[in-house]
Amino acid sequence: MTKDSIEVKVKLGGTMAIALLLMCCFAIATHAAEINVPAAVTAGSGLSIPSSGSGSATLYVVGPGTAIKRTVRLGQEIQLSADELQNAGRYVISLDGNSATFFVTAGPVQSIAFLARPSRVPADTPNVVTGTTFVFDKYQNLVLQPQPIKFELTANGQTVGRTETTKSGVAFAKLDSSRKEGPAQFVASSGAASVRRVVQEVASDPCSIRMTAVRDKNGILARTEPIHDCAGNPVPDGTIVTFTATDAKGKSTVDARIKQGVAEAELPASNNATISVASGVVVGNEIQWRGGQ
Amino acid sequence: MKSVSLAVAMAAALAVIASVFPTPDSVLAASAPSIAINVEHATPREIEETTQKSLARDYATAWQTMTEALDQNRADLLSANFIGTADDKLTATIQEQTKVGLHQHITDQGHTVDAVFYSPEGSAIELHDTAHLQIDVMDGSKVVHTENATVHYVALLTAAENSWKVRVLETVPGF
Repeated sequence: MTKDSIEVKVKLGGTMAIALLLMCCFAIATHAAEINVPAAVTAGSGLSIPSSGSGSATLYVVGPGTAIKRTVRLGQEIQLSADELQNAGRYVISLDGNSATFFVTAGPVQSIAFLARPSRVPADTPNVVTGTTFVFDKYQNLVLQPQPIKFELTANGQTVGRTETTKSGVAFAKLDSSRKEGPAQFVASSGAASVRRVVQEVASDPCSIRMTAVRDKNGILARTEPIHDCAGNPVPDGTIVTFTATDAKGKSTVDARIKQGVAEAELPASNNATISVASGVVVGNEIQWRGGQ
Repeated sequence: MKSVSLAVAMAAALAVIASVFPTPDSVLAASAPSIAINVEHATPREIEETTQKSLARDYATAWQTMTEALDQNRADLLSANFIGTADDKLTATIQEQTKVGLHQHITDQGHTVDAVFYSPEGSAIELHDTAHLQIDVMDGSKVVHTENATVHYVALLTAAENSWKVRVLETVPGF
């Protein structure tokens, strides 16, 4: 072996040793800054993150409702408090140039946002009341895990109900109104969380209309009998009832409102007229008027 | 020569004024992101074409506003497009960022959105949004974290007077 070849081998050996040393240092440095976080934690739970290495470094955490910058000692546990991890979502944590992400997920259902529509519905009608719920935990995070929601509509001691399961935090139901009119309690509940709304159930369209007609000093007085829906509920006062008289001179129409359950109208005098009555889509009886006979 | 100096001085003064008092246009300088909304799977109510268009417009504007607000730490920008929980949590983020001198620069590269729920009475819509974002977390002018990420969002929007506002915006691991 010549002196030159020994020199080359020494130089090569030295270079390799330096490279190896650098690789080791890099590996140690990388290991020192590695952040091990769980994939997910529950909202309002603290988090303890192990760190390695020595000295101090700046910790950054950015997430929903959170932005943290503080100096931490490497080699010790890094604590994120329950208050700092209340909001569900994605968090980025960065320490000493290395980053990781983790998710905070919602806790148990604590509250319900409840949309009940409409506020006034006709009685005895199928699928007329709709309720939509969004479920939240105590930190107002949308609870995305499926949750059972009980919908109940109670009127006059009669309850109709259904249980639905939330999908992506939402559940809805369509319920029938009860046969009798009156205020109905519409309740959505999940576990201990419960929300109540009041839905006013009113008589639906008249079931039938029956009228009589008499002569009076100004013409013909037409009057209905008390008007009810098909469940026997009195149709509300104020509902429009239309009276029509048709004779050789033409057609006369009077719109009257129901007062105390009945509607009446004064029609022009005639010796030969056909009188009809209607409310909405319901047509009542017809009278052939022959001068009051 | 004197008039040229005066013009330069005036231009400089205007530039300073403009930088101190940003106009609404400069506040929302970034263009609205591209939003592709699929409404075919929305239940229980079908989403009408006009609703789909207004939804895409309002959701894009909300994202544009949010990225600007998080970058400039301007919580006052949010109320036009956010309400309720989403507004509260974004405002809290900005307040915390301001306290410690952080801000987020988000380059929005587009959204693929599925409308999954449209309430029977038409007042609430839930979206599943897959967003492609470049996120830079900045400590002053120093980047402390950067990533190109695909992030999944659950968004709940409710009807306001003449627009849709974001009521809930939560990131989730996936759909």
